[in-house]
Amino acid sequence: MEYKIIMPQLTDTMESGKIVRWLKGKGDFVEEGEPVVEVETDKAVMEVPSFKSGVLVNILAEEGEEIPVGTEIAVIETEPEKAKVEKREEKPVEKEEKGVKKVEKESEEIKVEVEEVKKIELPEGTASPAAKKTAADLGIDIKKYQEKGILPTPAHEKDVRELYYSHFFDKKALEVIKTYNLSLEEVVKSLKKEKITKKDVENYIVENNIPQIVPVSDIQKRAIENLKKSLEIPVYHIYEEIKTGNLPEIEGITLTTWLIKILGDTMQNHYRTRARIEGDVYKVYPNSNVCVAVAIDEELFMPVVKNVNRKNLRQIAEDLKTLKDKASNRKLTVDDLSGSTFSISNLGMFNILSFDAIIPPGRVGIMAVGVEVKGKTKVTFSFDHRIINGREAALFVDDFKKKFTDKKYIQKLQKEAK
Amino acid sequence: MLYREALNKALDEMMEKDESVVILGEDVGFYGGNYKVTEGLYAKYGGKRVIDTPIAENSIVGTAIGMAIGGLRPVAEIMTVNFSLLAMDQIVNQLAKIRYMSGGKITLPVVVRMPQGVAKQLAAQHSQSLERIFASVPGLRVFVASDATTAYYGLKFAVSIDDPVIFLEHELLYHEKMEIEEEKNFSPYRARIKKEGDGITIVSYLKMFHDTMKAVPTVEKELGVSCEVIDLCSINPLDVSTIANSVKKTKHLVVVTEEPKTGAYADEIIYRVIEDTFYELDAPPLKICGEDVPTPYNRKLELMSIPTPEKIATEIIKWGKKHGI
Repeated sequence: MEYKIIMPQLTDTMESGKIVRWLKGKGDFVEEGEPVVEVETDKAVMEVPSFKSGVLVNILAEEGEEIPVGTEIAVIETEPEKAKVEKREEKPVEKEEKGVKKVEKESEEIKVEVEEVKKIELPEGTASPAAKKTAADLGIDIKKYQEKGILPTPAHEKDVRELYYSHFFDKKALEVIKTYNLSLEEVVKSLKKEKITKKDVENYIVENNIPQIVPVSDIQKRAIENLKKSLEIPVYHIYEEIKTGNLPEIEGITLTTWLIKILGDTMQNHYRTRARIEGDVYKVYPNSNVCVAVAIDEELFMPVVKNVNRKNLRQIAEDLKTLKDKASNRKLTVDDLSGSTFSISNLGMFNILSFDAIIPPGRVGIMAVGVEVKGKTKVTFSFDHRIINGREAALFVDDFKKKFTDKKYIQKLQKEAK
Repeated sequence: MLYREALNKALDEMMEKDESVVILGEDVGFYGGNYKVTEGLYAKYGGKRVIDTPIAENSIVGTAIGMAIGGLRPVAEIMTVNFSLLAMDQIVNQLAKIRYMSGGKITLPVVVRMPQGVAKQLAAQHSQSLERIFASVPGLRVFVASDATTAYYGLKFAVSIDDPVIFLEHELLYHEKMEIEEEKNFSPYRARIKKEGDGITIVSYLKMFHDTMKAVPTVEKELGVSCEVIDLCSINPLDVSTIANSVKKTKHLVVVTEEPKTGAYADEIIYRVIEDTFYELDAPPLKICGEDVPTPYNRKLELMSIPTPEKIATEIIKWGKKHGI
């Protein structure tokens, strides 16, 4: 049995100890309770004994080294016949750094939780001495404004100053001040005007290039988290052009609907596009589930059209409409957003010729769709190399492309949609 | 460098410069001091200048007084402030009063060094902070050393003046790594502004100064104001003007000390500052101190009995929100 000697806490304040001298060498037999090493603490030099008898097989700390409490410093084999004395590793000796080595300390910002604190409330007329002094300087009757509910009770200096300086602004100017979180006092002192209008404030903002503070929405925060995960995906691209001009016009069926259907059908013949990597295994799903990038206001959603292989164009169009409505009303459920292995992002409606897209985490790839020009549309595929290699991806893309010129197949889809 | 090494350096330099400087105390010589502050001095200056004494605190201070009357400049070490209670007759009745009662004929250049405060599980009898007692005795100067810089310059200053000085250290600081920052014209009578700010003035010393500095980023983030942190080097005399000037700017005062709150030295700081700044204050001053209990041995209870960085931050944030910061 191996028994490890650790740097003990020898004094109440000790955080680390310096190895002064090894009293035993490698291969020496150590009796239980016999001192093995001398350690210098913050208070004194002390001997550290072994709590078991055996052979000292390994020494893990050099003389002169500063070792944190709790770190292993030596190994004792309690069954001597098993003892194999390890060769001492030659460590580069840091001669210059004599004495104390830096023991890394965590310097994290402390975290505290403060429960809701209510501001104190006192009768009208009360104010801090500083508030009273400032009010006297500025000619403000604190009590009068407290009765009107304009100043809090008690009033603090900041409140009085804000009230005083707010008199320089008209109502609309104050609203702008609030959105930009500006200091009234600073604006007044800078503009040196008796009556400040909204326009003055807007000029001040432009003049000083003051940013508007726009909070990151919760949805965007989640999107950012996902994008960070996307960065871990080893990705490559395949650029292609597909003949979308041949697709028959059917009322209510958009190009995106066609693309989802044809992509979903192609995925049926390429199992890796229906796969997900989880640790040491791939999980290959039987159905083609495709998620579609939907932009609502400035936010991005990726709802999933499920079982594309088992649905016709009409059903997919209906699914798509339901999902878009849900997205607009922020009603998408977790189920609506999960389960897909491939994605589509279409910027064609914005006249973009071509682009590439980032794979949302958990998907094999994404297809970025540009605008149709003379019956042709440029598409860019991004693939996760961990799941699908170049050859398989090329076969998949080629298969997808060919489906657009397969008249029988297209007619079949058209027929089903009616 | 360690805090204790800064103290050692100060002693070494003063002994080298002036032969009349001597050290006495329990285990200060051959053993190098219980906290190793006097390490190496016995070897360098010998047993006549670094004197091991019996475990008899009243005699240690009494002997130091006799040495000083005889023309030496003794630096006495009491192992911790808790044992100084045994030496109170010599400290309060003799050390503090002889210069006055001799009509100024006898000066007493004596330094009594000792650590105070809660370390780790030393229990009630060995964890006290007694600065309030020394600060309330006229005739004594009371210095506190929060870091290597004040330890080094402060102790040299204490040894160099002709009045008796109680020099307080903190048990948990001895093994802390810090550097001596070069200071020209150092005076312990001037409080040090260690961090500038314009929203809240926070005053502390010894270990609480470090805990305060740890709490400050959180406070600033939560309350949206900046903190000015002042570290004291002397608590008697107290540099009221540095603190008051800061409070006139920030209009908010917080004092953090480790001692139990009733009758705390923190009260004295707050009162003296209010005298100067009452009409400038925007909120009642906040005092953060230890609890009114004998320090518990149990580590969790021990930490509950004194301010910690988390507690300091929480208290200041609560107080700030209550009073409209």
